[in-house]
Amino acid sequence: MPNLRDIKRRISSVQSTRQITRTMEMVATAKIKKAQERIESARPYALSMMEVLGNVARYVQGATHPLLEEHPERKRVAIIALTSDRGLCGAFNANILRLTEGLIRDAEAEGAEAEIIAVGKKALSYLKYRGVEPVAEYRDISDKPTFAHARSIAAQVISAYSEGRIDAAYVVFNRFKNVAEQKAEVHQLLPIERTVVDVDEEPLGPRPEYLFEPSPAAVLEKLLPMYVETLVYRALLESAASEQGARRVAMKSATDNAGEIITTLTRSYNRARQASITNEIAEIVGGAAALEES
Amino acid sequence: MAKTLLCEIVTPERILYTNEVEMVIAPTPDGESGILPLHAPLVTLLAPGELRVRYNDGKDVEWFAVSGGYLQVHEDKVIVLADAAAASSQIDVERARRAKALIEERMKELKERPADVAEEIASCVADLKWCEVQIKVAERRA
Repeated sequence: MPNLRDIKRRISSVQSTRQITRTMEMVATAKIKKAQERIESARPYALSMMEVLGNVARYVQGATHPLLEEHPERKRVAIIALTSDRGLCGAFNANILRLTEGLIRDAEAEGAEAEIIAVGKKALSYLKYRGVEPVAEYRDISDKPTFAHARSIAAQVISAYSEGRIDAAYVVFNRFKNVAEQKAEVHQLLPIERTVVDVDEEPLGPRPEYLFEPSPAAVLEKLLPMYVETLVYRALLESAASEQGARRVAMKSATDNAGEIITTLTRSYNRARQASITNEIAEIVGGAAALEES
Repeated sequence: MAKTLLCEIVTPERILYTNEVEMVIAPTPDGESGILPLHAPLVTLLAPGELRVRYNDGKDVEWFAVSGGYLQVHEDKVIVLADAAAASSQIDVERARRAKALIEERMKELKERPADVAEEIASCVADLKWCEVQIKVAERRA
């Protein structure tokens, strides 16, 4: 028969766990909102930049730039894996690491080497366990990514690509679909896809005559790296929002499960209490009967 | 002067400023460019420096520090896409000075090392420039 005191202890332990998970759920809910606002406020910049890029591209027909050139051979690819610094967020990190692992294997199958830029402590500890040395690591930024972080990450792949040290760059991150849903996705950063600069001519009608200073090519030269930076920044922001979303869902189900466990435990506690009372009565009755007989 | 321009200063992190203004004076690599209403469509790079807008018949001027980026003019709308920007009233001069001192120290260290640190020095120079611009703009408000 389960011990009454043991059951009681378990109930109170589950109760305090539930309190923690409930708090974490609420914290995550509050943070999602902030993270979403940050995504929103990054949008105007990204949109205007795409617009300018489109304009410039129309003037620089058949633009050439090191970041647009596809390298003839793929010998080395860079993979930027965006994970969180903290756990307790469901499959958030596992999904990223699985995709990253897939990319590494694909690269190896082609006979190319893969290098990893790890963002977040979870990616670091996983790589360490796998025995892979990341070429660069960033931690403690997943919560509040700034543009400076994005710039520094982007600068690495940009310079490596233009110097020919890598032949492609990808970013793996969780896309924020809505508060309850994230999707781990791979995006190609480099080479920049030609669709970005190859714009259809006709549909816009008479186009305004733009002046470019110092020259269209110089503007493009500056815009393309910024485009990559903006992509990385967006991925960082989406990942931050997704992390909170994933954590909220994970903590909600943990809270619900704790509630269920408490109900079951309370039931067995009551049953055990009832059983012990019945037992005592039986003993007393038995004892009294024995006394009467004597 | 009735005609105005809509000026928007946008950084990757947020929209810093929107207002109807009469003139935008922006720092470009070839010197300052003043943009008035009815300006032809233009895309230009920005140099780190001071950007100012005038409105209210030129009586009010606001100063901004920008660290570079570019500017687009289209149909009386000026969009400034700055890598980083700050309004003169929001700049923390003390902080900028401290940052400047730190960067200068770091640069000295880097220059003494024989190793290949050109990239790092370049980024230090850019940071330094940004601090200087901020300090300069902040002094304008005095």
